[in-house]
Amino acid sequence: MVVCTGCSLLCEDIELVLKDGTISQAKNLCRKGHAHFQALFIERTRPMIDGREVSLDQAISKAAEILKSAKSPLFYGWSNSTLEAQAAGIDLARRLGATIDDTSSFCQGILMELVLTGKVPTCTLDDVRNFADTSVFWGADPSNSHPRHLSRFAYYPRGEKRQKSYEEERICIAVDVRKSATARLCSNYYFRVPPGQDAEFIESILAVLDGKIPRFGDKKRMIELGTVLRKTEYGVIFPGLGMVYSLQEKMDLLVRLVAKLNEITTFMVLPMVDHYNMRGFNQLLLDETGFINRVSFQGGTTVHGPEQSVMAAAKSCDAALVIGSDPLSALPFGTARALAKTSLIAIDPRRSLTTDAAKVVIPSAMYGLEAGGTSLRLDGVKIEFEPFFKSELLSDEQILAKIKEAI
Amino acid sequence: MEAEVTIVAFQDIFQNEARKKGIYTDEYRQLSAQIILDKQDITRLGVKDGQRISVKNEVGGVVVAAKISDDDPHPGLAFMINSPWFNQLVRDDVCDTSIPGFKRIAARVSPSEENVTQISEILQRMRA
Ligand code: SF4
Repeated sequence: MVVCTGCSLLCEDIELVLKDGTISQAKNLCRKGHAHFQALFIERTRPMIDGREVSLDQAISKAAEILKSAKSPLFYGWSNSTLEAQAAGIDLARRLGATIDDTSSFCQGILMELVLTGKVPTCTLDDVRNFADTSVFWGADPSNSHPRHLSRFAYYPRGEKRQKSYEEERICIAVDVRKSATARLCSNYYFRVPPGQDAEFIESILAVLDGKIPRFGDKKRMIELGTVLRKTEYGVIFPGLGMVYSLQEKMDLLVRLVAKLNEITTFMVLPMVDHYNMRGFNQLLLDETGFINRVSFQGGTTVHGPEQSVMAAAKSCDAALVIGSDPLSALPFGTARALAKTSLIAIDPRRSLTTDAAKVVIPSAMYGLEAGGTSLRLDGVKIEFEPFFKSELLSDEQILAKIKEAI
Repeated sequence: MEAEVTIVAFQDIFQNEARKKGIYTDEYRQLSAQIILDKQDITRLGVKDGQRISVKNEVGGVVVAAKISDDDPHPGLAFMINSPWFNQLVRDDVCDTSIPGFKRIAARVSPSEENVTQISEILQRMRA
């Protein structure tokens, strides 16, 4: 059995046969996971300095030299590394007085903070499988982002209290700006919300739950939604990026909605974290510093705030170490350009825009296949995995240890 | 002919798969460099499915292919898959939460004679 690190479900039941540079047989692997594993054979990185291939030791020495002389280095990425690598990264950031941030900073961070600090009740995916009768995918489309979510947990499986499953006992609600693949699947319970109007939508649900007339949306359908939510025995809201980007600083509305629902029945929140160990990084940094992301250790102090976010720090840093992430593809143009122009060190198993723009590239092993470790699934459950086969490539934490040693 | 649209980004499993095959592949470009427009907007712009569209705003611009939406009517609202093409249009000056506006980008769309923007061009812009 192999653990798939293709998304934060960290499926542990994957069976694989690799032959002649390809996956010849696979069991339980979804399309996204298959592509993730097949990537093992495509566009792998080589150690590079300024676009020229060098030895691994030379690349590591150069990275150490850049970081040592930097006055305000930025460490970014982390969501695709194990807890062990993340801990090594936080330690190195502290020693160098660096700013450290992860992908949650521009996606699920606000939500994850609510969960990790206990401001909204949460549960495990096993609870979802065993007890949930209503799953609300809100600005989330698991059919594309977490392909086995519905089959392993939210909709199709027979759980302890849900033996009749999707035929009789489970429903999925989709709240989205577009009719996503998931919304098409639960079309009876699809609620279209125009961009940026999720706050109004929540206020309408709150009104309906209070027996008032909703001001937003189709009144009849909103009342129907209120009835479904009231009848729920064990509900789970799975917020995705759609909700985060729409609500932003109005996230307290979600807290209010969940509190209201819990006066009536049981409702949990599980953010649809994308990268396989984003939650791990948030939890580790929270334990270490009291903050889930955006931390600077400059001058031996711990500072947290918008200025420490990757968006701001990309412009103020004089060197950046990016690990297991491709911010040049994923972040807004201005931030990507700022990173491309700094002394950029990229640690990655595969070629990306970020490795192509980097001054130093250090190839790493692919977690799950070539390296083992521990990660937190999207619900916080710790998953341990062994490498599927032995590789010569170093894991992220081994590379960080070598950089630390060289510094 | 030009139209103002709000663009919302989304994830797509097929594009994700193509990215794993390589960011310089034709498949990744074809799946990323497209904008899904409502039928009414397509008619207003006088373009056909697959025709090239210039998408511009105060941040930047790209040329992508038009795709007709099969969703319920949503005139004025367009969709693009999360990708470096879409990110050319995203502002990086952000509100207090420091979250960029990935889900609501105002842009102007018009038919274009230019080639679809290549990823190598995007990398060049970042390095310029
Ligand atoms: S659902 Fe996620 S973890 Fe499971 S096989 Fe698919 S990509 Fe891998």
